[in-house]
Amino acid sequence: MLLRGTTGTPLPTSLHLPTATTYRHHPHSLSISASSSSSSSSSSATFPATPLSISDAELESRGFALHRDAASLDLDRLNAVFVAVGFPRRDPGKIRVALEHTDALVWVQQRRTEKPVAFARATGDGVFNAIIWDVVVDPSFQGIGLGKAVMERLVDDLLARGINNIALYSEPRVLGFYRPLGFVADPDGIRGMVYSRKQKKKK
Amino acid sequence: MLAHNLLLPSPSSSSPSPFAFDPHRRRLPRLHPLFSDAAAAPARLAGASRRIKFLPLKSSFWETIRSGFLKDSATQIVDPPTSPEEEEEILPQEFLLFEKTLPDGSLEQIMFSSGGDVDVYDLQALCDKVGWPRRPLSKLAAALKNSYIVATLHSIRHSPESDESAQTKLIGMARATSDHAFNATIWDVLVDPSYQGQGLGKTLVENLIRTLLQRDIGNISLFADSKVVDFYRNLGFEADPEGIKGMFWYPKY
Repeated sequence: MLLRGTTGTPLPTSLHLPTATTYRHHPHSLSISASSSSSSSSSSATFPATPLSISDAELESRGFALHRDAASLDLDRLNAVFVAVGFPRRDPGKIRVALEHTDALVWVQQRRTEKPVAFARATGDGVFNAIIWDVVVDPSFQGIGLGKAVMERLVDDLLARGINNIALYSEPRVLGFYRPLGFVADPDGIRGMVYSRKQKKKK
Repeated sequence: MLAHNLLLPSPSSSSPSPFAFDPHRRRLPRLHPLFSDAAAAPARLAGASRRIKFLPLKSSFWETIRSGFLKDSATQIVDPPTSPEEEEEILPQEFLLFEKTLPDGSLEQIMFSSGGDVDVYDLQALCDKVGWPRRPLSKLAAALKNSYIVATLHSIRHSPESDESAQTKLIGMARATSDHAFNATIWDVLVDPSYQGQGLGKTLVENLIRTLLQRDIGNISLFADSKVVDFYRNLGFEADPEGIKGMFWYPKY
């Protein structure tokens, strides 16, 4: 019996996804070379560029700043957003540790108040797999596309690094948020599972 | 053949950090005197496992993945403080799982380690054995380096001729990525096909979990192929807790 804790196969090494600032990757139209030894210098993967749902410029014009690192992120204010959306209040020291060991993150800041209003981060092994956690939008700023904005960019950043096994855990009522972003639930019967000490069967 | 997890107190001679098998060492540190009587060992283990307290599930996981962008999440949950599992001994970084004498008189020991010292060539050979598609060595090495814990099973065979050095072989591996604070995800669980069917996969994952719990990682998750969902269920994993679904970005399936 093969014991697998992960989904399977990565894309062949010849696949290159060019980094794009405005356009997004849409892999369904990618022409993937089957031979891993073929020359990869011409990134000839053709795909229709899907524009970001809100461009960087548009966000700027609405008074928002985009960040991809935690340098100017006020952890107490981030914690306040977590609490506002119903997460448990977490130890800021632990949040700092978590962010130090996060592979990628994107957050939106309201320029006028300097406060974080949307956030998402991903952890992983930096080459094959990534999981997206803590996708939040401040309740006062929900419904205007900020959640989508951080998600699209986070996924793009991961893809640009060659990480194409991107996963997340979704509450049932927001499956519809992630689906248009390209996420599929239980592909090929793969199930997300969580360890529960309460449930552990004693031998 | 014993298939239980044997917890050994760390012998004073072992170094705390790097995991390394000294091929010149004839034998690993002797079994603790409490376990030297094979008949007594299972009874001790049963006693040991009864002493371990299982804490109630913390609210944190569900709350951390609760959607943070819909308007009606108004309740505030306070993350309960973590209480240490006082009655469980701290797991040594490497320890003997079991040993048996083979027909040719040699002694085979199966060691668990969470130290992550894996030869990437050995790992690739193991991945080949289980039939996984090849991944570039440099990426494998990077993935291991970037993993929070890499747990391994090694077989060490000591020949009956006391002057021959021991042969060590990688026979299992499981790794977990983590943010070192809240979440960990287990990937790539594999056991050499010729060692499957003996409960080694179970032991491997159990000890990986124990290691994670002792480092106070509260949320341990994984994605399981449909064929192994029951395997993980028996280890204490729950699929789709509260309807929460694992989702993948444009999977190949």
